[in-house]
Amino acid sequence: MIKELSFALYAIKKNIQSSAELRTSFLMNIVGMTINNTAFIIIWVFFVKSVGVIHGWTAADIIGLLGFSSLSYGVVHSIASGIGLTAEYVSSGSFDRFMVSPKNLLIRIATSRFSASAIGDIVFGLVCLGVYSFLIHISIVQIILMVFLVVVSTMVFLAALIAVMSASFLFTDAHAVTSSLFELFLTPTLFHGGSFQGATRFIFTFFIPSLIAGALPVEIVRDVSLEKLVIVSVVAIVWFLLSLKLFTAGVKKYESSNLMTFGN
Amino acid sequence: MKVIRLGSKIIQTLVRDRIYYPGKLMVDTFGMVARCGVLLLLYWYVFRLNNGMVNGTTFLIAAWSMFLYFAFSVLRLRGISKEIMRDIRSGTVEILLCKPISYLSYRMWWQVGTGLYSFLVISLVGVIALAFIVGIPETMSARIFIPTLVIVVLLGVLLSLFLYTAVGLLAFWIEDIDPVFWVVDKTVMILGGSYLPVALFPDLMYKFAVWSPFGASQFVTHTVYETWGVEWMMKVGIQVFWVVAFLVITLLLFAKARKKVSVNGG
Repeated sequence: MIKELSFALYAIKKNIQSSAELRTSFLMNIVGMTINNTAFIIIWVFFVKSVGVIHGWTAADIIGLLGFSSLSYGVVHSIASGIGLTAEYVSSGSFDRFMVSPKNLLIRIATSRFSASAIGDIVFGLVCLGVYSFLIHISIVQIILMVFLVVVSTMVFLAALIAVMSASFLFTDAHAVTSSLFELFLTPTLFHGGSFQGATRFIFTFFIPSLIAGALPVEIVRDVSLEKLVIVSVVAIVWFLLSLKLFTAGVKKYESSNLMTFGN
Repeated sequence: MKVIRLGSKIIQTLVRDRIYYPGKLMVDTFGMVARCGVLLLLYWYVFRLNNGMVNGTTFLIAAWSMFLYFAFSVLRLRGISKEIMRDIRSGTVEILLCKPISYLSYRMWWQVGTGLYSFLVISLVGVIALAFIVGIPETMSARIFIPTLVIVVLLGVLLSLFLYTAVGLLAFWIEDIDPVFWVVDKTVMILGGSYLPVALFPDLMYKFAVWSPFGASQFVTHTVYETWGVEWMMKVGIQVFWVVAFLVITLLLFAKARKKVSVNGG
């Protein structure tokens, strides 16, 4: 296990060094993504101004929501960006080279690519959480909760990505299918958390765990709700284990479509 | 004439391709439900909390406005930026420039053809579904609605194509256009009235949405508002202005870009 993790860290380090070689492009991606994410703050802040406070959700909470979702999205897409390419690897046949690698299959795929723009998400997420902390006059307990919930939210993002990408093994050209499925998970993570109530809240917490990636962590930090914390943590762990099962089951269905090459 | 023949051939081929592979239509439909469906559900709840009215706008109007935005986005016109970037990065642009057809018109026809089938089917099904679920606002039964909608959609298509082509052509200079693309795309998304209908915009933002090319490319979302009856001429005028402006910008950029291409052969 230690060996696998040290390999993952080595691969991530090399990926970052490789991306940073093209310095202008690297920096432009980071800045561009940060500006790109600001769009969601503009939209939802104006939304709150227009419709008022819904179920206790203020403009500050929207900043917290985007902080959690951007940071966890950024962490997953910087260290495990390769998982998002599983559909392309499978359809092109380049998945074979991961199968024959002596390293852990999932770690090998995850670290096969690095997304510079994800660093922009991380920067944006950290700034948002900093601003949110200032706006709600955060206490020590809330800081501890926030750090823990960033881990939980990242775990859910990773689980969703792995679960969705497991569908790559079921279709001939699954890129469009997996993109749409991931969109179904991702879109609600950026939505105003207060407008998810009743059935929609239940569905987007347990069946599609989008709210665990952003809205519920904000409510837990704001209200210091230990009950919600337990539910969110359990659902995140269950989803993570389920996604690993789905991925393993998917790999068993894999049939090589290699075109006389080991791809790149 | 030659250009029209090329265009109709490309569109015919791509539409046949989409009909042959219905999976792509299913994916587009799924994507539409994932984004627009969830959003409409949330707005329905929000409007209910506010007694059915926010900023003088009803849920009926807001729902149709957002639906039109997402239906228009099924055309995937913004994808032209990435296609041009891919051509430039892979070197395919050298081959396409040598062909006896205009590269830009070929790319534009291709982009329209890619999303046309899904756009027509999803729009038709969506209109029927939305009419049954939430009803039809009075503004949509006005005499000018259909003709102006067609004009605004056509001008919106042209403006979007020119706008995103200009972004794509920047790849001749900066190679990785993603950061520029994101900024332009998100500006279109905000000012077009995707997640927040334009009727809910504050004054200054509304003015920016009306007068900027980003908002003008999505004027289709304005057609359901009560003010459309008196404002449509002005808005069509704004669209025409930006279409001409971006046509000139795109052609100038392309002329400069062509000079930068060095064909190495092989």
